[in-house]
Amino acid sequence: MGWVVFAFGAWIAGWLVNVRLARGPVSWWASLAAPLVFGATLLAVWEGVVRGFAINQVLLPAPTAIAARMGASADLLWADFVQTVLKGALSGYVIGCGAAFLIAVAIDRFPFLQRGLLPVGNFVAALPVIGMAPILVMWFGFDWQSKAAVVVVMVFFPMLVNTVQGLQAADAMQKDLMRTYAAGYWRTLVKLRLPCAMPFIFNGLKIGTTLALIGAIVAEFFGSPIVGMGFRISTSVGQLTLDLVWAEIFVAALAGSAFYGLVALAEQRVTFWHPSQRT
Amino acid sequence: MKTITKIAAGAALGVWGTMAQAADDVTLQLKWVTQAQFAGYYVAKDKGFYEEEGLNVTIKPGGPDIAPEQVIVGGGADVIVTWMAAGLAARERGVPLVNIAQPFKTGGLQVNCLKSTGVESPDDFAGRTMGVWFFGNEYPFYAWMASLGLETDGADENGVTVLKQAFSADPLIQGQADCISTMTYNEYNQIIEAGITPEELVTFNYLEMGFGMLEDGLYVLEDDLEDPEFKDKMVRFVRASMKGWKYAEENQEEAAEIVIDNDASGAQELDHQLYMVGEVAKLTAGSNGALDPADYEQTVKTLLSAVSEENPAITKEPEGAWTHEITDEALN
Repeated sequence: MGWVVFAFGAWIAGWLVNVRLARGPVSWWASLAAPLVFGATLLAVWEGVVRGFAINQVLLPAPTAIAARMGASADLLWADFVQTVLKGALSGYVIGCGAAFLIAVAIDRFPFLQRGLLPVGNFVAALPVIGMAPILVMWFGFDWQSKAAVVVVMVFFPMLVNTVQGLQAADAMQKDLMRTYAAGYWRTLVKLRLPCAMPFIFNGLKIGTTLALIGAIVAEFFGSPIVGMGFRISTSVGQLTLDLVWAEIFVAALAGSAFYGLVALAEQRVTFWHPSQRT
Repeated sequence: MKTITKIAAGAALGVWGTMAQAADDVTLQLKWVTQAQFAGYYVAKDKGFYEEEGLNVTIKPGGPDIAPEQVIVGGGADVIVTWMAAGLAARERGVPLVNIAQPFKTGGLQVNCLKSTGVESPDDFAGRTMGVWFFGNEYPFYAWMASLGLETDGADENGVTVLKQAFSADPLIQGQADCISTMTYNEYNQIIEAGITPEELVTFNYLEMGFGMLEDGLYVLEDDLEDPEFKDKMVRFVRASMKGWKYAEENQEEAAEIVIDNDASGAQELDHQLYMVGEVAKLTAGSNGALDPADYEQTVKTLLSAVSEENPAITKEPEGAWTHEITDEALN
């Protein structure tokens, strides 16, 4: 009973604090504090409800139990992170986005490719991951290479479409100006069209970050060595160590946010001139 | 229409009396998808054995991401089919499961290796790649490896590389693993159908190796057993289920067809189910439904012999994990 009261109290307290923050003057620290207070409230309510109603940890472990597990299994979580995020997701991301970028430039240069390659890209994008993953495991083996391959398939299309679109962003007047400067194709591409395409390219890169993580984790469900976040999530559910599952989910969420944040930061630096970056 | 015919048939058979009473609802959660591994339950349902006992049984198929232990604790089922290792592990983690009946006397879990890879006996495992099923099915494997003194984290001279195997025989057929896990009634047949002859295979049966663990048993939550009404329901459920199993053993073709009829996914094929019924019948043959305490002891001993981070099934001797209360009443 006490824990339920605690949960209720935490909810009210968190709510009141955030209402105050929202009504107060706009400041940098207030906009940082509000989501933190919200998150802390959520965790407190979660803890209180799980303990108060004695919810079986097989259904939902308490945040403190998850935190304790993260501390106890730090080595395991790190090994899984290296396997899935650094080896599987990142390498697939780099290969997939890189290839999509190069092919987008090629498509832009040779219009006949546009008619031939874009539909193929479209087709690849429509392949469901759960259908592709077992086949790619068959082709590239159980280790991270097959996970990277799944990631390549997943990030390729958003990147391709965005880059192709971006390369058409420079308008005719700007291109005409480049021509009066006697700039050839390559110079126009590097000096004008790629910079114009950057907001689009970063869109593709940002969408790719979360897709890469999802692809790498889900692919591990279809056969993997005994390391990796997807492996751990799928097998720990079977062993009913749900605290470990949540610990992995937390690490995955953290890694995904950090990955996205890094790309967004790079975007800010590269496309500082774009109207969307003005504050 | 189907219901009407059923009611009419029921009335004609004179079981109208039991039907008129409100039938007790029982939900059974299976460990795996609809297939002949669970033929007894489907037969009992289709042949009206449950109805005769005044039960209205719902059979929920499982799948690769369904942990029956989680379903029952969440209130999604009254009784589940699971392996004893998983059941005991769940018990230690706060899901007080109790074995009330054990229709499977022997186990169908085995390891198959290709002779061409040079594996002839467990002494040849070092340095090999082995496919293992997880999701609660890995406990016997780790116990076995521990007894052989083999590490499971790498392929050097005293370790094996473990792969998380999907529920198919592909890794062996494609040469990605030297050995894989199979069930006698399922994946083993897939290997044979893929064109590999039994002579080309080396087969290790966990049971024969002394690491057998009781497979499909019926488990309920301990608290539920305190309720006499629930107990009574389970007595009738077990009685009807065992009748279904014995019927399936004797009428294998009919049982296979019943399984196909009940397969909502439409994924199963009659030939394969027929084979499976035959193999499963061998496993259920020795059991009248009552758990043999000696088998239970072996399972516990095996699990306790290899406690490690990879094999966290149980760390101490379980208590009260099985009961004869239900089977005693159901079978006499």
